[in-house]
Amino acid sequence: MTAQQSGRINFMTTLSPAQATADLAEFDRTTSRWGRLTMIAGLIISVAGPLYLVLFGNLGITSSQLWTAVAAVLGTFFIIWLVEPITYFPILGPAAMYQAFMIGNISNKLLPSVLVAQTSIGAKPGTERGNFAAVMAICGAAATHLLSLLVFVGILGTWLISVVPAGVTDVARFYVLPAVMGAVIVQAIISTKQLRPTLVAFAVVLVVQFALLPLVPGLAMVSTAISVIATVIIAWFARKEIQPAA
Amino acid sequence: MTLTQLVEDGSSTNILSIANMPVLWACALGVFAVIILQSVIYIRAARKAAPAAGITGAELKTSFRSGAVAAIGPSLAVVLVAIALLALFGAPAVLVRIGLIGSAAYETGAANIAATTMDATLGGATYTQQVFAVAFFAMSIGGAMWMVTTLIATPLLKRGEHKLAKVNPLIMTVVPAAALLAAFISIGLGEIPKSGAHLITLLTAGVVMGLCLFLAKRLNRGWLREWGLGFAIVVALFVAYAAHTAGLGPVA
Repeated sequence: MTAQQSGRINFMTTLSPAQATADLAEFDRTTSRWGRLTMIAGLIISVAGPLYLVLFGNLGITSSQLWTAVAAVLGTFFIIWLVEPITYFPILGPAAMYQAFMIGNISNKLLPSVLVAQTSIGAKPGTERGNFAAVMAICGAAATHLLSLLVFVGILGTWLISVVPAGVTDVARFYVLPAVMGAVIVQAIISTKQLRPTLVAFAVVLVVQFALLPLVPGLAMVSTAISVIATVIIAWFARKEIQPAA
Repeated sequence: MTLTQLVEDGSSTNILSIANMPVLWACALGVFAVIILQSVIYIRAARKAAPAAGITGAELKTSFRSGAVAAIGPSLAVVLVAIALLALFGAPAVLVRIGLIGSAAYETGAANIAATTMDATLGGATYTQQVFAVAFFAMSIGGAMWMVTTLIATPLLKRGEHKLAKVNPLIMTVVPAAALLAAFISIGLGEIPKSGAHLITLLTAGVVMGLCLFLAKRLNRGWLREWGLGFAIVVALFVAYAAHTAGLGPVA
């Protein structure tokens, strides 16, 4: 504590290597244990709400309706779930992983915060300093984010929706999906910068939506999952091998 | 449709009356509380081990502050998107799913896929309380999967990070890119047959997003990239309103 308060002294000289290793191991234990526990708590609470609605909402939902919907969602996004944690691990480090995947909006909010923090103290990603900077930056980003969500969405948004005329909210409700998707498609094309998978995806989707579905309408509920799996397979075989550096 | 049916079988389209149930608000605030608790534990652990990591207390503070400041723009951008989705999902679901754990793209995508399995359209006449509950459940399970893979993968990655680097790097670029593109292109193009107004909305959002990303790069304005999604949605919704009032919406 005294060392911390004294500010700019180089701690590495005052700390024995054995003590440093022990301290880092302790940090790793604490963040692993509590990171996992809090993430599991977040997982349970986030599912508890809709589960309550389904079980006790008296809405007459059958379990087959429920599991069909879940299966269709799993079939569409399972590859992304598997890949994302592996992609972000090297930048975030183990401790911050448990924060990032609960706070969400990783690529558009947390990664920029982490990179700014690491740059401002001159820490490299993947080092201990980089990992500590990432943890603190995510805590800072979480503070900003929770506050703005509560104030602007929770309080102001709820008020806004109660005063906006019903005709306007009806249109927003009805057209918000194409509005989100139109933007997200363009963003995905530009950020992935992969011409071949993009063309394959468009071709596969057009075939599935406008040729396969009219023939077999029963496939509507799994059409996106079919497109995803077919695109991945075709894109893989149509891939451009990386040229060895000349 | 009789009144009893309205109350009991979930066929009412008054989504917001069940989307704002106190239980759902309690769960949403519960997730907020868990994140705050986690942050406090992490900050205390980081302070304690800081000297061993070669980082000073002042640097920890700087990191926290830069993280907080850097998040202002992106957070407000998320807020704008979240508000646009309030009418569809209600505040508690939007706070947890779009604001926190997930993101607008995945969550609306998942909700749309879930609604399709029930022969319903998000936000349309078939978007009943029942469909909302199933969609909310399916997107929550979807979001939970990210946490499940994180819980499983993190300890594995910690042990064998180097092994993964040996995997053909193309698997880590081509496969996720293909999966991502196919999912969103499929959900997006699925909107086209619904009506002319849907097509116009989709195209408007795409053009505005493209413009934002282009200008962000051309003029070197990073904030345009963050706000692109929010701007695109808002502009597209204005155009949708005009197109809908002009009679381009679906024939009832």
